[in-house]
Amino acid sequence: MSLLPTCRDVSRILSDARDTGRPLGLHVRIHLGICAVCRRVLAQFAILGAAVKKAPQSGPALSSEAKDRLRRALDGHS
Amino acid sequence: MTTDPAAWVDAHGDRLFRYALSRIRDERAAEDLIQDTLIVAFKSRDKFKGESSELTWMIGILRNKIFEHLRRQSREVPLDPSEDGDEREDANFENGRHWKPEHAPRDWGNEPQHKAESAEFSAALRGCLDALTPNVARAFVLREMEGVGHRECAEAMGVPPARLAVLLYRARMRLRRCLERNHFAPEAA
Repeated sequence: MSLLPTCRDVSRILSDARDTGRPLGLHVRIHLGICAVCRRVLAQFAILGAAVKKAPQSGPALSSEAKDRLRRALDGHS
Repeated sequence: MTTDPAAWVDAHGDRLFRYALSRIRDERAAEDLIQDTLIVAFKSRDKFKGESSELTWMIGILRNKIFEHLRRQSREVPLDPSEDGDEREDANFENGRHWKPEHAPRDWGNEPQHKAESAEFSAALRGCLDALTPNVARAFVLREMEGVGHRECAEAMGVPPARLAVLLYRARMRLRRCLERNHFAPEAA
């Protein structure tokens, strides 16, 4: 029986490591060394994490009705 | 700095809206949070020291509002028992061990980080986030998008840390797969 974790185990461990900051164990690092697919998972989790932290530069804007509603609600505070 | 909060609607409304909407997926709730944010900003305008931009300062206030909103939602909406199983994630693996060839992560090409900065990627990501179930999405927003600490995030959601780890795993696996299908390699999916 292999001591190396399976791809399924590794995908979970990689996710947990992002959250807990726990370093990857030797067996996981060996698995990553020989498994290109799991290395992609590692990279893709990191890309996801970096991409979503940025404030969106494009996308929907407030409608003019919504802006009017906001201005009216704020009137009493100025 | 203007002291007229109504003028802030024109100056910063759209960017605050985009920020809120990218996290909470509900236009009316996003508007309410912006309103609360602008009121708090107005009431505490004396504390603004100009060390950051006015918008950055307001986003800081908005982030607190988003955290409280998601925390409240997590407490009000109990976890759906149907979200307990990991069958969908486990289906990626052969006998629970190695990736099935048809589910194995594909190569996202050269400079995927660069590609992830495009407007097209942002749109695809928004679509993929919208497809997540509410609790999975909330966990991901709090932990990855807002950078809330692991324990604080679990407390905010009212779940044990181990349960949070399951939700986050699910979020990452589903987003990864969704982006791969809809943005990075649609022709191969």
